[in-house]
Formats: sequence, structure tokens, C-alpha cells
Amino acid sequence: MGFVFSAIEKLGPAGLVVKAILGSLVGISLLIGFIVLRRWYRARYFRRRSERTFALRTQWDDIVSGKIPLRNWRLDALDSEIVESILLDGIETATPEQLPGLVDCLRRSGLVDLRISEARMEHGWKQRTALLALGRTRAVEAIPALAEALDSPSRETRIAAVRALGRTAHREAAIPILDCMAAGQLDVPEHALKNALVHCCGGCPEILLNYLQQSQGSVRELLARVMGELASAGLGEDLLVLAADPLPEVRASAARALGGTNTSYTLPALHTLADDQEWFVRLRAVLALGQIDDLGKIRILLRSLCDTNRHVRQRAAWVLAQMEPHLQQILEDVVAGKDDYALQTFISELERSGAIDQVISNLEVRAGYESVHAALLEVVAAARRQVEMTGKATAAAAGSS
Amino acid sequence: MLRFLQISNDTLFIYYLLSNVIYFGLLITAIFKNVVHRRRLASQRLELLKASPFTPPITLIVPAHNEESFIVDSVQALLKLDYPSLEVVVVNDGSRDLTLQKLHEAYQLQAARLLYIADIATAPLRAIYRSPVEPRLLVLDKEAAGSKADAINAGLNAASSPYVCVVDADSILEKESLLRIVEGVFSDPSQVVAVGGIVRVLNGCRVVHGELQEVRLPKSAMEVMQVIEYLRAFLVGREAWASFNMLPIISGAFGVFQRELVKQIGGFRTHAVGEDLDLVVRLHRSLQEKHRPYHINFIADPTCWTEVPTDLKSLARQRARWQKGLIDALWPNRDMLFRARYGRVGWVVLPYMWIFEFFAPVIELAGYFTIGAALMLGVLSRSFFMQFLLFGYAFATLISIGSVLLEEMTYRRYNRWRDVARLVTYCLFEHFPYRQLTMVWRLQGIWQYFRGDLRWHEG
Repeated sequence: MGFVFSAIEKLGPAGLVVKAILGSLVGISLLIGFIVLRRWYRARYFRRRSERTFALRTQWDDIVSGKIPLRNWRLDALDSEIVESILLDGIETATPEQLPGLVDCLRRSGLVDLRISEARMEHGWKQRTALLALGRTRAVEAIPALAEALDSPSRETRIAAVRALGRTAHREAAIPILDCMAAGQLDVPEHALKNALVHCCGGCPEILLNYLQQSQGSVRELLARVMGELASAGLGEDLLVLAADPLPEVRASAARALGGTNTSYTLPALHTLADDQEWFVRLRAVLALGQIDDLGKIRILLRSLCDTNRHVRQRAAWVLAQMEPHLQQILEDVVAGKDDYALQTFISELERSGAIDQVISNLEVRAGYESVHAALLEVVAAARRQVEMTGKATAAAAGSS
Repeated sequence: MLRFLQISNDTLFIYYLLSNVIYFGLLITAIFKNVVHRRRLASQRLELLKASPFTPPITLIVPAHNEESFIVDSVQALLKLDYPSLEVVVVNDGSRDLTLQKLHEAYQLQAARLLYIADIATAPLRAIYRSPVEPRLLVLDKEAAGSKADAINAGLNAASSPYVCVVDADSILEKESLLRIVEGVFSDPSQVVAVGGIVRVLNGCRVVHGELQEVRLPKSAMEVMQVIEYLRAFLVGREAWASFNMLPIISGAFGVFQRELVKQIGGFRTHAVGEDLDLVVRLHRSLQEKHRPYHINFIADPTCWTEVPTDLKSLARQRARWQKGLIDALWPNRDMLFRARYGRVGWVVLPYMWIFEFFAPVIELAGYFTIGAALMLGVLSRSFFMQFLLFGYAFATLISIGSVLLEEMTYRRYNRWRDVARLVTYCLFEHFPYRQLTMVWRLQGIWQYFRGDLRWHEG
């Protein structure tokens, strides 16, 4: 080989190019070799895994019940990996009756302890894998190890810990997340936090209340958003306190939460929020009104139909257009309001919901013997033409500008 | 003259070396980013994202111009996408074929007088249709304005969701692609303003009623070359640029944007030839000028499959159009070059686009002439020339095979041994004559641009 290198040296500056060519060719060969080897190795691995999965599946009930001694599969790395993954998948879809048996099998085999020690001792990718597996086990004893990972300097690890705590779906798992948030120490994407808290606090939103009352700023907004998804009538008048919060995000979330309750204070509270100074609070209140059954909401929605904000008007119209048996009366009220924008928005939403034909045919039937309905029909026809023209006019105006 | 030839050949050598070294750097970055992302995917559960009450609604905007053969299957497939809150707005952009009639028949469309506020200027709207059988579908029928951008803008005006996703009518989105791309928004919703997904070549794949059944490599060499190009451009180029927050383009075939932000900058530029590139550059400009922290993301696993040209004529037209789109987006934004207020976009990616994308065919052509002249005049050593050629070939091949390797290490859409072997083999042959043809087509694009031929619609 020496003569090759001495020949290259003799080439002077051109030798550099030759070296580069050789380097590139070696690179190409290595890449091709790597692709081939990797494919071959993966094919072999998956074939073997498939065979072992089949073998373990045939004895599955005995493995879970413990009739087959643990040493038969637990000490083999591949078998252990397969059993763990089947158990974890099973836990995710298990019925309440099946769940204890599956979790118990994980405990007996020492796989939970193994994952806990990996979550504590390992770093990087291996630690994150352990955290996520622990979350999927839904084992309560995993929570302290998961909570420790919330302090990790790595953001990816913290995200994995939050997700894992969420997956346990235990109320106890929410506490370390909330503590870290309250201390302002948890730099994790908002979405991961919200989802984790929704899973953990699903059956007990009152956990959030204490933290919500003590927190401020963005943490408070985030907790309010989660509360907005979970709140129930059981929270009682605490929701009214949130509805009067100085932070608009919190008021908006309270509006959303109120939509899920049906109490004596729901309608008055939503009425107040529908008049809020922030448009998105009013919007949430309108949407929440759509969720409750009280017919008293129609008056509030008719006012929202005349809102200064286009989105609020449109949503109010959308909610009103869903109120099938009362559409005739609502239409009469909207026309009586003499607000062209409101009427056009309502007509547009009736068109979208497909209810317009029914409303018109009802009016046509009555128009024959009641002049008031004939007049109403004319107003509606004019409004429909107006809606159609609005689209063309704005497009034309925009096009010519 | 001889001195000039020598200098120009040296410049050419440095240019070529630099171009490949930069791309090699992008390849290394992309390998790292893709592997990390692939691992991160293991911790995501799409069913949780789907069930989450915080997953935002999305409006899919489908501009359609003479798409009668695809449109029904395409809309059907889009409506079947795995996403909790979806709205599909099809914009019939003055089609002269049966696009609208086909939609009428399939979805029993009914004209609806819906309020349509044209926040962004568009050609006049003829009608809006809703479907009693599919409430998530809205069809806008508008007059043609000769640009896809105008159709998208009409869709933006009608969209009701906070995020919009622009999809080509002849493209196919994978069932989970929207959930996957939205995950890119959630990495930081306050900063991520747009996310691009990967576009792959549909030719050769088995498709039934607008749904992808089996992934295969296309049969013809020209289409396989395009597969390699797409892998290189998306898996390497876009992934790497995005990791430095310098992504210059989100493909018009598949990208998610914050609706209000796009509206704020006036929507897609109506007469832009490459409206996708133009929009992203303008987004960078607007956000940098406002000093707003932002991120324009790229995620390589949400996949959109699209048909690529199968004959030389269509390919030539497409490449010429891309080149026109490039200059059409770069020229109006030339003031962003080397300006501190535009940060790394102005200092790195835009100069790169000018030098190594726009000028590439011009420099390549000039190179052929000067090298030829130098060879004839004896200024250039034949052995050095051969070495240079070999080096260029080997280095570029290394990068192409690197992108195939990246595909192998991460998403592995091509599962058959035969497909991978063909991909690697074509990496060895794409430099002649495919590369030279591409150069000619791109030069045609430049010529057409300066001649004022800026048509969008083909045929």
C-alpha cells in the first residue's frame, strides 16, 4: 500500500484532490455496506422476534398467571422485551378486571423495578425509554422515580417524565407536576403539561383549584385551561370566582367550564361572561351557552348576535341555528332587532346548517293567511340576497384595491 | 484570455467544492436531527393527541383547477384523515372540466348563501356550496385568476380554523399525517407559526380510491431520479435548514400555517410563481421585522404523496416553473440580503439560495464553456480535470447515498430490498445526463422569467 500513498504525495496539490476522491469512494462504499448490513441485521432480528413472540403468545395465560416460572423468559433479553411490550400494550386496552393481573405480572417479574432503576440511573435515550415504559405500567410506585426526572437538566427527559406521569392517570401523579409548575421550575411544552394534567386530574379537578388560586401569570392561565376541560358541577361556586378573575384567559376557561355544568348559577354567570370586555371570553361564553339546555340562553345569544366582533356574532348565529324547534321564533326576534349584520350572519348559519329551507317553507305556509309572515319572508329573501352580494362585493372590492 | 480562463476555472472549482461541502454539512445535521426525531416519535402516542381536547381544529384548503380525475377520490381521502376536528375547503379555481360537477354528484352539493368576507383579495366568487351528506365540506367556486395562490387565498377567507393546511388536489396525505404535523406545532405553539411535512413520490405506488395501499419505487429511471431528489431536498435540505430556524420553503403540497398570521401578511401573493417559497420568505421578513420570536418547523414523518412528471416535457415545464418561482420570490426580497435585522435568514439562507440555487445553472453552464475552452487551449491539465470531475461525481454521489441511508435509518418507506438497491444504483447514475438536463430546464425558467412568462396553470 505504501507505494500508493507515495504516488499520491508526488502529485502535489493534485494529490489532495485524489485523496478527496478516494475519501468519497470509501465513504460511498461504507454507506452502501452499512445499508446492506443494517437491512440484513434488522431482517434477522425481526424474524427471530416474530418466532419468539409466537412462542410466548401460545403460553400467554400461563405467563401472566405465573404458572410458567419467571426464569423461563425473564432472563432472556429478547423474551423479556417481548413480554414487557405485550404487557404494556395490554395495560393500555385492559378492562378494570384485567388490569391488576397484568400490572401484577410486571411487578412479579421485576420489570417495574428494573425500569425504576433505569429511570434513576441511566441518562439520555435509555432513561427516557424507561420513563415512558414506567408511565405505561400505571404502577403507583413508579411515580416518585418519574417525579425525580422532572428536575432533569435535559428538556427531552422532562417532557418524557411529564408524558409518563400523565399516562399513569393517577391523581397522585399530578401533584409533582403541579408542584414544579407552581415553583416555576418546569420548562416543558404547554401541550404536554395540559394533556398530562387532564389525564391525571380527570376524576378530581378540585386538585387544580388550590394550585389555581395560588398561582399567577402563565401558570394560572394554563391551569385554568385544564380546569376548563375538566370542570363539573361538583366544583360549585369556585367556578364563579374564576369567572370573575382578572385574567381574561382564566375567565374564558371558566366560561368553557361552565358549559359543562347545569346549575342555577350557570346561566347568570355565562350571561355576565357574554358581556365581557375581551372578545375571546365572550366567544367562549357563547360556545358554552350552546352546550346548556336552558332556553333562557336565547336572549343572551340574540344579544351576542349583535356583538362588535365578527367571530362572536358568527358563533352566536351558529349556536342559534342549531336550536331546531325554535328557529322560527328566533328568526322573528332577529328581524325585530333590525340589525342587518346580525340577520345576515344568522341567515348564513341557517344556510350552513341546512335548516333554511325548512324555515322558509314554514314561513311560506303561514304567509298565505298571516301578513306578518309574508313580510318576514320578504325580509329573509332580501337578507339572503344581501349575504350573496356581500361575498361578491367584498371579493370585487378587494380585487380592485 | 488564458488568465481569465484560469481564474474562472479556479472559481468554478471552489464554487463546486463549497456547494458540496455545505450540502455535506446539511446531511450531517439532518442525520442527527432525524435520528433524534425518530426516537422522540417513540414517546408520542397519536391516539392520545387525537383524544386531547387541546388539539386545534384544522382547515384543509384544496385548490383545484381542472382536477376532474382526482377530485372526488382526493376529497374522500382527506375527509377520512385521522383528525378530530377537520374542515375541508375545496376551491374550484375556474376549472373548465367537470371538477365541480363531479363534486356535485359525489356530495350532493347545494348552493348556500354563506357570509364570505374577503379579507384577502381574490378573483370573484361565483358560489359557495355545502354538502348535506358531509357537513365538514365546503366548496367555493370562483373565477380563475391564473394562479394557485388566488385559490388558496379564497380558501383562507372561508376557513374557520386557527390553523390551515394547504394540500394539492392530486396529492395523497397519509392517514395520520395531520396528527403528526400538528405535533410540530405543539412543540411550542406560541412560537411555531408554520410546519412543513415531507412530500414523497407517489408514482409506482398502489393507490385505491385516493388511499395509499402499497409503497413501491416507480419503474422509469427518470421518476426514480426524482425520488432521490425529493429525499435529498426534504430529508436533508429542509430538515437541516429548519433545525437552524432558516427553513426557506414549505412545500405548497403540504404545510400547516397559522391562519391569522398568513392573513396579516396579505395571504399568498396572487401572482407569485412559487407561492409557497414566497409566503415563507415573507413570513420570515414580517416576523423578523416585528422582532417576534418564532419558529418555522419541518417534520419529516407526516407524509404527503404526490405524482411527479413522467415525461421529459412535463418535467422540463415543472423545473422551469420552480426556477421562475425561485427568482420570483428572491428578487422582491433582495433587500433582506446581508441585513442585520433579518438575522440568519438574511445572512445565510437567502445568500445560499441566490448563489447555490438561483445561479447554479448559470455557473454550471459557464463552467462547461470555460473548461472546454481551457482544455482546447491547453490551459487546463487533463489529469486535473479528470480528477476534478471524479471528485465532483464521488462527493455528490456520497451525499445522494447519504440521503438514501437517512431514509433507511429513519422512516423506511421503501421496504423491499429491490427498491433500496435500485435507489442506491440510481444515485450512481443521476449525474449524467439527468443533471445536465435539469440545468437546461432551469436555464429555460430563468429565460422565461425575464421574458415575462409567469403562467401558473399548465397546458
